[in-house]
Amino acid sequence: MEGFIATGLIGISLGSQYTLLALGFTLIFGILGVVNFAHGGFYVMGGYVAYYCTSMLGLSYPVALLIAVGSTAMLGWLFETLILERVIEDHQATLMVTMGFYLVMATAILMIFGAESPEFSFPIAGVWRAGGVYFPYANMVVLGVCLAAIVLVYWLVYRTNLGRAMRAMAEDRAVASALGMRTKVLFPFAFALATGLAGLTGALVTPILALAPHVGDPVLAFSFLTVILGGLGSVTGATVAAFIVGLVEAYAAVYLGGSKGALTLFVLVLIILVIRPQGLLGKEVRRA
Amino acid sequence: MTAVPQLPAEALYAERMSKSFGGLKVFHDVSFTLQPGGLLGVIGPNGAGKTTMINIISGRLAASSGQVRLGETRIDGRPVYDNAGRGLVRSFQQTATFSGHSVSDNLRSAVRFARRDLSVLERLAPLLEQFGLVENWNRHAEVLPYGLQKMLGLTMALATQPRILLLDEPAAGLEKSERSNIDAYVGFAQREFGCGVLLVEHDMELIRRLCPEVIVLDGGRLIATGSPDEVLNRKDVIDAYLGGGDEEDGDAEH
Repeated sequence: MEGFIATGLIGISLGSQYTLLALGFTLIFGILGVVNFAHGGFYVMGGYVAYYCTSMLGLSYPVALLIAVGSTAMLGWLFETLILERVIEDHQATLMVTMGFYLVMATAILMIFGAESPEFSFPIAGVWRAGGVYFPYANMVVLGVCLAAIVLVYWLVYRTNLGRAMRAMAEDRAVASALGMRTKVLFPFAFALATGLAGLTGALVTPILALAPHVGDPVLAFSFLTVILGGLGSVTGATVAAFIVGLVEAYAAVYLGGSKGALTLFVLVLIILVIRPQGLLGKEVRRA
Repeated sequence: MTAVPQLPAEALYAERMSKSFGGLKVFHDVSFTLQPGGLLGVIGPNGAGKTTMINIISGRLAASSGQVRLGETRIDGRPVYDNAGRGLVRSFQQTATFSGHSVSDNLRSAVRFARRDLSVLERLAPLLEQFGLVENWNRHAEVLPYGLQKMLGLTMALATQPRILLLDEPAAGLEKSERSNIDAYVGFAQREFGCGVLLVEHDMELIRRLCPEVIVLDGGRLIATGSPDEVLNRKDVIDAYLGGGDEEDGDAEH
């Protein structure tokens, strides 16, 4: 029973990380209509910025987190404004541009920091114990920060005029635009928010898991999977799906063996999508 | 390029609008004028180019040649939101609401997106009451019956205080008993906001009731202009409908 609870905590922790990644991914898709193949790149960048700030500059970890968020958000803003905006109406071009940007980011990181994983560990060690339930303090902090960030994103999206505009754009860009919503104002903001969240996740998670130039690949795959499962463009759907993915991955890894986690997940997602092709909370697409 | 003549403000001018996709020309040199506060019906069989025309005028599609002007300002090729800000607002054939938002939030969003004042909602109060939207004020759009969603979407367009309304089949999908709402809506838009209305519609009863003048499109060409009774008795118009008719044209009276 203790093992079951501890696995559940790990699953929730994973779910909160996937939520941060998936929220950004789904906002970009919903608002801009872009599948951002560079999403994993911003995760990796967040990790390396935090590593550089703490290991090379000697800054404290919380400050490094803020710099990681700020720098990934700023790069996201610049990328959207200077590059993506020019091809935003051409879906194939946006795929190529975001994919190309990911390759540029990964290669730049490789050239600057090398292929070896640097020594980057979470500043808090130790394990919290209650009876037979174990939960590392590092995971607890990650979970706390992720949950706080999720609450902040939800507040922004559901309680502010800016958020209402973003949700409206995500629900129906054509209608929002027809009513006068200025897409060019919202696009870079949404993109920067999403990449900042990816950077935050990278800065939080890479010291626990691993930091290397290629660790963005599975991040993209899991973000994509989560967002499709939740329903493309759906904020709540992405959140629900992220926690399902985290819990399934954790339990499958523990009870079926490490290699079965991803397999179980993909089979489950396939079954759900056969029953609900629009995802758990997605809506059927209407084209006007 | 001919010189732009002095024109009365807020009228909509379409001049030799054409649209090609690749080498295929789908819209041919269509011209018309919609005066401020005027009402122009647009009819034609499916595939005639009616929605393409609205897409070009609203800015969703760029015209391949010709131009569209609002008053003296050329607006073709400008972003849709830019034109909406100028008071040229379109509706959609299907429901056009933000389904996860309440009726109230939908209307407020429309006002904010167009950067208008929320006091416009007070002016809309009689219409909101008549359509039954007031009693559903806090309900999400997605749980409303189709007819109410449709009227909410149309009222959102009006909440932007448009000068020109482009209505793309506003009666589509409405029950016969609900179609009088469109009469009330168009009348209100003209009376309260002085809107010029371009009304694309298949419901010929509605067109006859509301429109003093219609244009007929067929195959992307303007084939007739005149009062509804005049054009609907013309042989080329009847042929266009009989040749291009399908099940969705069931409302058309020939």
